[in-house]
Amino acid sequence: MVGSPVLLIAIPLLAAFLVPLLGMLWKELVRIIPGLVLAYLLVLSTSLYLEVLNSGTIVETIAGWSAPFGINLVFSPLTGFLTTIMTFIGLIIWLYSYRFKRNVEFEAAKKYFIFLMLLVAGSVGIVITGDIFNQFVFIEIVGISAYALTAFYTGRNSAEAAFKYLIMGSLSASALLIAIIIIYSQLGTLNMAEISANIHNMSPHYRVIAMIFFVVGIGVEAEIFPLNGWAPDAYTEAPGPVGGAFAGIVVKAGIYAMVRMMFTLFDISGPMQILIVIGMITLIVAETSALRQEKLKRMLAYSSIGQMGLVLIAFGMGTKAGVFAALFLMLNHAIIKPLLFLSGSHLTFNTTDKYIKEITGMAKKMPVVSVLFALGALAISGLPPFSGFWSKLSVLTAAADENMILIITLVLIISVVEIVYYFRVLNRLFFFSYDEKVSVKPHKPSFNSMIAMFILAALILLIGFYPSSVTGFIDLAADDLLNTHDYIDKVLGMIQ
Amino acid sequence: METIEVIRLGVYGASILLILIGLYAVLTKKSLIKIIIGLSIIDGGIHLLLIGIGYIKDGTAPIFSPGLEGAASRMVDPVPQALVLTAIVIGFGVTAVALSLIIRLYRHHNTLKIDEIKNLKW
Repeated sequence: MVGSPVLLIAIPLLAAFLVPLLGMLWKELVRIIPGLVLAYLLVLSTSLYLEVLNSGTIVETIAGWSAPFGINLVFSPLTGFLTTIMTFIGLIIWLYSYRFKRNVEFEAAKKYFIFLMLLVAGSVGIVITGDIFNQFVFIEIVGISAYALTAFYTGRNSAEAAFKYLIMGSLSASALLIAIIIIYSQLGTLNMAEISANIHNMSPHYRVIAMIFFVVGIGVEAEIFPLNGWAPDAYTEAPGPVGGAFAGIVVKAGIYAMVRMMFTLFDISGPMQILIVIGMITLIVAETSALRQEKLKRMLAYSSIGQMGLVLIAFGMGTKAGVFAALFLMLNHAIIKPLLFLSGSHLTFNTTDKYIKEITGMAKKMPVVSVLFALGALAISGLPPFSGFWSKLSVLTAAADENMILIITLVLIISVVEIVYYFRVLNRLFFFSYDEKVSVKPHKPSFNSMIAMFILAALILLIGFYPSSVTGFIDLAADDLLNTHDYIDKVLGMIQ
Repeated sequence: METIEVIRLGVYGASILLILIGLYAVLTKKSLIKIIIGLSIIDGGIHLLLIGIGYIKDGTAPIFSPGLEGAASRMVDPVPQALVLTAIVIGFGVTAVALSLIIRLYRHHNTLKIDEIKNLKW
């Protein structure tokens, strides 16, 4: 036993509240401690994940109350896979912002790192918990730290973006709480496995109403179409690495909560029209909006929403191949989008508006960062030698297996749209000459942020050339999500 | 209809009414402070609903104590009450963050009217 899953939540929560005290001893501790904590989380979740792959799902009971009575944490091939991605991205974001935030004074850096740790802790909690009310609490932890991180800069319109996010977030949290009340009043339990075992005894009316409230409640974090009005503003106004953290960590947790609800809680098998329709609308609206954006980060935000639509379509197919494709997309998006946000925020470092025209010809001044941005852009639009190609290909093959012609057509058309708007930026970046009047002053990237970006770029190339290095893990995770009975047995088998 | 049923329906109706009043305030009011008050009213309605589903007539505290050995069937469900406590704390946290954001907005824009704060658009 290498440690227990509960440490994944307890350690960052404890550290987040100790950091201000330790900062009084030595100011540098405020930056170092979060890095140590996030590195520890990555080591812990990786070793737990490897153990889970060898010896099966770990179910952790909290405070000795076994499964249906107390809260339990489930560390399975699926949740371990997502937890490892999230803690890895958390560490990368810390590495990037370590010196980036050195320009900022002590108080601001303290707040930034505290909320970053809470964000990671909450997202990991959403993924590994086995109790719906506990999931609601973690969604609120993620929400509050995300509002605070969005409002980080005082000079910009960030408070406006954060307020918008807060209104949507807390209204949707209310919807989630109503859904939990409906489930509890009908089934008398909050444990996901027990709900899943008894869901078909619930009257269909209540089931449909509870499901609608669940979709509204989780949809804000998962960026599904009518509920994602916060995303472009929050991504634009938040600091660059925070945009990466939203795309790599928070949204992944939201999507996980959504599919866990659909596949396990409501025990739906076969194609789910609701996910496919929501995903298609999200994809079309987001990608066409991205086409006409003037601001770089806003464009990246819409691209991120569009990718989540694609993930929902793939999950909605309900087949093994579809779930596999969706998890592969989530992995790729978690690696590529932070790279785009990190390099993009270096390119637009000395401007507050972040217009695309302001980075004209920057490749002459900052060649390395520009190449890294180009790598991310090519990978996310799905061009062959990079990792994004394999995940898009697996979506297409999964759709082809089910004869879903409409999805294949849509995905191909949307890929062209993606290529158009990314190449518009790349064209300005590489083939225009640098103009003092239009472009911003280049900013020399610091050593640690370059390392963070190079690690992400290396992973993109690695997965691109050797997709078999990750497909085995994704395959096991997909099996785990689809096998609801196994989940119920593992969790409720604890009662003896 | 029994009295207990009337009370139960009354509580459910009142809580749904509170939720709708709060939603109305959030959707139509122009002042940022009033929007936050609306959010708090929604929270209040949900908390009432949660307490309502745990109600039992002549219920006792869910603690085994001398003289109440046969009371197991009359014990109120403690789970909704624990949930309400947690939900109240979360609601308090969100309200505090929202109010601090309003202070920031007021310093930046010098107004609390939501119509005049529109630097960000789709």
